[in-house]
Order: sequence, then C-alpha cells, then structure tokens
Amino acid sequence: MITESRLKKVLNSGKFAVTAECGPPKGADPEVVKSKGKILKDHVDSINVTDNQTGVVRLSSLAACALLKAEGLDPVLQMVTRDRNRIALQSDVLGASALGIRNILCLSGDHQSFGNQPQAKGVFDIDSIQFIQTVRKMRDAGEIIGGDKLTTPPQLFIGAVANPFADPFKYRATRLATKVDAGAEFIQTQCIYNLKRFKEWMGLVSDLGMADKVYILGGITPLKSAKMAEYMAKNVAGMDIPEEVINRMKAAPAKEQRQEGIKIAVETVQALKEIKGIHGVHIMAIEWEEVVPQIVEESKLFPRPQV
Amino acid sequence: MITAERKPIKEIKEMLAPYKKILVVGCGSCVAECAAGGEKEVGLLSSALRMDAKASGKEIEIKEMTLDRQCVYEFIDQLTEVIDQYDIVLSLACGAGVQAVAEVFPKVHIVPALNTTFLGETKEAGLWVENCRGCGDCKLGVFAAVCPVTRCAKGLFNGPCGGSKTDRCEVDPDVPCAWQLIVSRLEDIGRLDLLRKVHPPADWSKQQGKGPRKIKREDQRT
Amino acid sequence: MDQKGLGITRAILFCRQLDPNQDANRRAIEREMGARIRFFPLPCSGRVDPLYLMRALESGADKVYLITCPEGACRYREGNLRAKKRIAYAKSLIEEIGLEPERFELILTSAGNHKTIDEITRDILAREES
Repeated sequence: MITESRLKKVLNSGKFAVTAECGPPKGADPEVVKSKGKILKDHVDSINVTDNQTGVVRLSSLAACALLKAEGLDPVLQMVTRDRNRIALQSDVLGASALGIRNILCLSGDHQSFGNQPQAKGVFDIDSIQFIQTVRKMRDAGEIIGGDKLTTPPQLFIGAVANPFADPFKYRATRLATKVDAGAEFIQTQCIYNLKRFKEWMGLVSDLGMADKVYILGGITPLKSAKMAEYMAKNVAGMDIPEEVINRMKAAPAKEQRQEGIKIAVETVQALKEIKGIHGVHIMAIEWEEVVPQIVEESKLFPRPQV
Repeated sequence: MITAERKPIKEIKEMLAPYKKILVVGCGSCVAECAAGGEKEVGLLSSALRMDAKASGKEIEIKEMTLDRQCVYEFIDQLTEVIDQYDIVLSLACGAGVQAVAEVFPKVHIVPALNTTFLGETKEAGLWVENCRGCGDCKLGVFAAVCPVTRCAKGLFNGPCGGSKTDRCEVDPDVPCAWQLIVSRLEDIGRLDLLRKVHPPADWSKQQGKGPRKIKREDQRT
Repeated sequence: MDQKGLGITRAILFCRQLDPNQDANRRAIEREMGARIRFFPLPCSGRVDPLYLMRALESGADKVYLITCPEGACRYREGNLRAKKRIAYAKSLIEEIGLEPERFELILTSAGNHKTIDEITRDILAREES
C-alpha cells in the first residue's frame, strides 16, 4: 500500500503544520529513536531526523526514519550532500521511498571540520539545490542525473531549508526562490528569535512571488537557559539572537529560565501564525524533545488535525 | 603557481636514515617563489641536516643542487652525471617534480622534502592562498571571477550555505565567504539575476574521471 | 677582560649603521680573539637571511649574534623588525634538529646608543661570562 506524506496532506488542506526534530543517538539502540517518536507522535504531524548533524557520527537518518515509520509516524528524512556522492544520494532516495518514507529535506550539511571526524573528506559532489532538483526529477520525470529512467520513481514530498538570518541578507530571499525553482515544495527555516528581521525577509520572499509557491515552516528552538542563548548567539554560525531575548532569559531566575524559554517559543509560534505566507512551525528542541508537546499545546495547536 | 611547505625535519631524517651520500635537489620555479624549495631552502635544509648529523656523530655527505625546473626533462638531465654518485636524492620540488626525476632515473631512490599543497596566488609577501583546484572546467565566467569550487569550504555552486555571517566563512573566520564575494560582485554589476539559474551538477570526470589526467597536443610534439 | 680561556667561537652579524667606524673599531678585538670571533657587517640587519645564520653556525660558531639598531630607528624603516622575524625562523629550524634556539640571539641596541661595535661586543661577551 502506498501511503502519502502526512505533512503534505496537512499543508495541502490549508492547516497550520507542526513538525519537530529528532536527533538519532550516538549508538545503535533503536529504543532511543522509538521513545523520542512516542513523545512526539500525537503532537506533531511529522518528525525530521537529522543526518549526522554538525558532522558528528550518529545512527543513520535513513534507519531512524524507517524505525519511526514502523511506529506509525511520518518521518522527514534529512539528507546532506556532505557525506555521499550522487550515486549514494540517489540510491538512498530510492531506498527511502521503498521503506515508505515520504518526506525528504535536502541540505548541504554542516562542514565536517565542526564534528568528531574533522579529518574526513567532505564529498560535496553536488550541492543542496542540485540535490533538490535531482530528487524532483527522479520523482516527476522518473529519471536520474544523466537521464537514465527509473523503473519506479520515488514518492517523496521535497523540502529545503532557509536561513533568513545569514548574510548576504538581500540574497537570502533570492536563494529561497532558487530552491523553489529547483523543486522544493516546503521550507523549514533556521530558528527564529529575531522576528523583525524574519518579517523583513518574508517581505522579500513575498515580493519574489514565493509566498504562494511554497509552504514555509518557521523554525523554533526553545532556549534552555540564558547561558545557552549566549552560547548560540556567539558560537553557532548563522544564528541571530537579539540582545533583548538574551536579556529576557537572564532576567529570569536560574530555576525559571526553562519556563521563560518555553514562553518565548510559544510567543514566537503565536506571532508566526499571524504572518502571511507562514504555513507551520518546525520545532527543534535539541535533546529536549519532551518539551515539544507543551509548546504545541500552549500554542493552541493541539490536537493535530486528522488527515 | 604550485605551493608547498617543508616537511618536519624529523620526517625527512627518517627517510634519509639508512643513507650516507645525499643529493639535495631544489627547484627554481614555483616552490622557489613560495620559499619552500629554491636554492636558499636547499641551503637551509642541507645546513640543518649536516649539523644534525654532526651532533649525533653520524657521517653524511650532502651535495646541494638546484635545477631551474624539476618537472621538465631538459633540466632534469643536469642530474645525469651526478646522481649515480649518491645513495639517495632528497627533492625539494613539488610532487610533480619528484616523480619526474624518479621517472628519468628509475634505479635511484628519491624522496620528497616538501608537502605539495595547492595552486595559488602570492597574495602578499609571505602569504600564499589557494584559489584554483584545477577542476578542468573553469566557471569563473559565471561566478564573477571567484572560484566557489576552491574558495567555498563546501564547494557550493548555487549560493552560500546558511553559515555565512558578516562576510566570513563559518568554517574559518579568517577566510572571506566566497559566495559573499560572488554575490556582492554580481550585485555591483547588476547581474544578481545570474544566480536565479540553477547550476547543474559539475562534471567531476574532468577532474578525476579516469585517474591521472593528461594533455596531449600534437602540434607541440616533435 | 680575559677571553683566552673560553675557546669558543662567536659570529657577530651586525648592522653597519650602528657604528660608522666599525671597520677600524673591531680590529683590536679581532686581534685579541683571533679565530674565536668573526664579524659580518650588514648594510642593514633586515638583509640578514636565515641561511647566513645557519652557515655561521655550521662553520663552527657556537653562538651567532645579530645586532640591530634600536626598534623604530632603522634607517630602512623596518629592517630590524624583519631581522627579528628571520632570526625567529632560524631558531625554529635549529630547534627541529635539537639545538638550543639560544644559539641565535638578537641584540637590539637601546635607543640613544652611542657605543662602538667593539664596545657592544665586549658587553655581550662580559654578559655571557657572568
């Protein structure tokens, strides 16, 4: 039986979508993945599984997605071009589809020098946009790079990422448009703390006529502490955490900082709901998946629609 | 030019350990320009090796020579009368030079003193930067004369990754983001539209398709 | 000052601008010390190449000095600053073969120095002894 992407169905039906991120373990235990899935299952439409994020070796994204699929969830397979050449990428795309995975998020991936294998050879045979185009052609034209035909094309809802906060700012909207041209159907953004800048970017995106062409899900990462906020602002490339957000976290007593972080996340979700062209949120609670249900409920996005 | 850096003397000594008579051969081209393998560097290294041998009571004999080019037969030929008198050749050429000499003298043991690094530019005195990977399919024409294959840490063909901030590369803040350079150059000439086109996957076979590449020009052959 | 007992050789590379009469001024000490000292006048200390330093060491000197003008007083603006970098490179090179980097020493004369080259040299040798 061919199942369809739940994420696609939710978005197509005009509902505000909720996705969350799940990082696989640094080991071979399937229970870790399953238990994260269990926590998130009722509160989100789909779950992204990161692909050796920050270049740190973890249980494979494809395998974790298959595990979640078996638990009745709708996984979003994140796949980076850092570790696989076009042969392996296309092969895994076919494999994912065969396993019943229906969503893919195409990325270039964090540079290998950041992770625990800094001596690895970065592959980068193709880039994220070329990868999007490749998957789209595989699905819609049933053909791989070079034009060979597939016996059966993969069934995948194709996503990409966007960082509205990186430089050069003006080009960032153009980049999103190029990803849409290449074939992206949904976009998940970098985590949003600077709503002013995010709205500015959305304005540019709309000016390019992209707001109606692609589903955009705003990224949310609840802050655990003022320290985390400061660390991220300083050390994570392409992250924009304004001073006032950091100060707000600092103003809360240490014990209540988590609560404050959740509050900020909920307020951001509420604000995003009001922005034209935003079709959902993507919650990336890094090693803090258990907070996702609370954010979803407090943002009045629970229960999730049955589609 | 081709740039290189000297190997640690410890590593060089290990390669030379069993031998007494050493011919140290520099190259007066690229590696001389980047102060790694020219006549002066041959002198410095030979001096250091002699002093080291003396200090450890080892007897060695070193001859210093520098060829104008170590990758062209006409120049390598200058070694013909000399090379047989030595047990080993320590070459301060790039990898191409080392192998060229080895091919001309198949029975001679030849070892490298340098690590060949990249194709680059002398940016300023004492600073060399990589800006070409010799991919065999130059696209500088569409990328405002900034090579993304070489100068973007991820070799991206379709715009910057999400990590570029205030025009620096996320991988190394000392390095400018190549895509920031490309975008601002295209912006300056009013051609940002060039970036709306999706550049197809590169043809890496032009770089590494069937092993080592060669260029054959009949008109240049004798 | 009795140098006879030392039996060590010194190479003194120095900037000629330091002492306009360097040629005459170093005769006495050269006679006194014979093979145990060699002077190498440079048009500017910035002209020193690590290779000179290495060759001096290799040809038997136990210690090689490079004497420069005071910082900021180089006739060619930054010759003495360059000298500093060159000597640092040479030090790293001999360190690789297990020699003490102190075998190369940079002597920056102090601002307002009016000493002749032999006086500077005697100061250095006296300091070595103490």
